[in-house]
Amino acid sequence: MRPVARSAIATGLVLLVSQSGAAAGADQGAQLAATCASCHRLDGGGTGIPSIIRLGEERLTNALLAYRASESPNHIMHAIALSLSDEEIASVARYVAAQGK
Amino acid sequence: MKFWTRREFGRLTGAALLTALNQPKARGQAKARVVVIGGGIGGATVARYLAVSATAIEVTLVEPRQSYTTCFFSNLYLAGLRPFKSLSHGYEALAKQYGITVIHESAEAIHPAAKTVALNNGSKLSYDRLVVAPGIAFRDRALRGYDEAAMEIMPHAWNAGPQTSLLRQQLESMEDGGLFVIVVPPNPFRCPPAPYERASLIASYFQRSKPKAKILILDSKDSFNAQDLFQDAWNRHYPGMIEWLPAQFTGGVTAIDAKTRSVITEGATFKAAVANVIPAQMAGRLVQQAGLANQSGWCPVDPVTFESALQPGVHLVGDAIIGGDMPKSAFCANSQAKACAFAIAADLTGSARFPAHLFNTCYTYLAPDDAFSNAISFKPVDGKLKSVISFVSKVEESSEVRRQAARAAEGWYDAFTHDVFG
Ligand SMILES: Cc1cc2nc3c(=O)[nH]c(=O)nc-3n(C[C@H](O)[C@H](O)[C@H](O)COP(=O)(O)OP(=O)(O)OC[C@H]3O[C@@H](n4cnc5c(N)ncnc54)[C@H](O)[C@@H]3O)c2cc1C
Repeated sequence: MRPVARSAIATGLVLLVSQSGAAAGADQGAQLAATCASCHRLDGGGTGIPSIIRLGEERLTNALLAYRASESPNHIMHAIALSLSDEEIASVARYVAAQGK
Repeated sequence: MKFWTRREFGRLTGAALLTALNQPKARGQAKARVVVIGGGIGGATVARYLAVSATAIEVTLVEPRQSYTTCFFSNLYLAGLRPFKSLSHGYEALAKQYGITVIHESAEAIHPAAKTVALNNGSKLSYDRLVVAPGIAFRDRALRGYDEAAMEIMPHAWNAGPQTSLLRQQLESMEDGGLFVIVVPPNPFRCPPAPYERASLIASYFQRSKPKAKILILDSKDSFNAQDLFQDAWNRHYPGMIEWLPAQFTGGVTAIDAKTRSVITEGATFKAAVANVIPAQMAGRLVQQAGLANQSGWCPVDPVTFESALQPGVHLVGDAIIGGDMPKSAFCANSQAKACAFAIAADLTGSARFPAHLFNTCYTYLAPDDAFSNAISFKPVDGKLKSVISFVSKVEESSEVRRQAARAAEGWYDAFTHDVFG
């Protein structure tokens, strides 16, 4: 391979990685939020189960961390939160908070 | 698939490159086509999530019925606590809001080699990927004497619809003091706690309207899920009304006599005023013909992509699959459907893949204002879906906690049916 071609490919790949990194974050949030949507309406409606889209990113993150730490007060949210890594909690909180804006 | 020459590849940068890689693999052709067979919980969820997450995919949903009646919450209807209409959901939103082509026909045959599906109106659909979610069928000759005619006398009410209303009518016209018999099938079957939830809610109806009536559960098993929670509730709410007989006591149910409305076990014959016979199950008929089921009658799948282990290019979700530790529930069908939709979108459009999260969450009614819940998360381990985290309500919980769970269940129904049908 000639040096010129190699550098062109390299530029493309660097851009690809950084851009798909950003897009990927949003995608991961959307895919994780699909799990929330099995019980929480993400359009702001609903009764009986608290709405989560207007809590804001920080409160959502803190709530998930608290649910992950303890079985009380809600074992369903405990089971869900236990399956999430810190990074996943951050990306789902970001995505869900954005739905409320 | 187009192969890039080095020069073309070099000229593409950044966003252009990303867009190019996000195109359907079948470049130059029309959009990639996904056909989904079965507009129940699993199928409708796959269709909706494919439609929202990948505009480059054209989604067609094949479902014979004009509207879907949920099995979940049908026990509340049977107990007179919910109108039948409230269980019914149409396909208008999926068609209009999400641009899914909904075809109200039933699929007759699948031809995996040709990648086509034959419909019963004689037309044929071609696909790049196929998703099959036909739910359950009843095993032939599993119970002597329980045929289609017997079902009209002793309903199963295990596919919600006319069977459910038939059972409700029979319960309403039953005399006070009558015996209601429920026959519970062997594992695996759709919704393991549902027969016992049904007994609980119908007991609450009897208590209000026919206090001398009795309920007899004839089980094919010797124990059941959350047995402590159910038996505690039966003693508290309906003392003396519900009797559960495990297979070890009766020898198991061997036959049905519809003429006398009797259920025959190894050791005795029980004559019912009303009987709900839930037969042994297998995956929906279509998959049996299409070579998607193994000898067990259920469909083996890859636990990450839900692609058939027997026919490449065909995915399956819901009750029809061998789900490992995942029970046959609407919640699981919906959870699997999302993982499957994201996997198909990634394959066809190159969108990013992330580890899937699979759950079951279930609210089960013990009485109108007493429900318990459980939550389980699953992961693929050695090719099988294993339960890794599991929590369930406890017997000693306060009645306030249970009341809250019953209220949360209502909210779940609303959010969940929105998630599935839009
Ligand atoms: C009494 C009862 C209570 C329940 N309660 C709960 C609960 O509280 N929570 C819970 O999570 N689950 C519950 N369930 C279980 C839940 O209903 C099922 O697990 C769920 O419906 C499975 O979804 P599915 O998509 O696999 O099948 P289904 O929802 O049955 O959908 C299958 C669809 O495929 C269509 N179909 C079949 N063959 C063809 C064909 N050849 N061509 C085209 N279409 C076809 C059918 O018309 C149907 O619409 C309950 C079940 C019962 C019986």
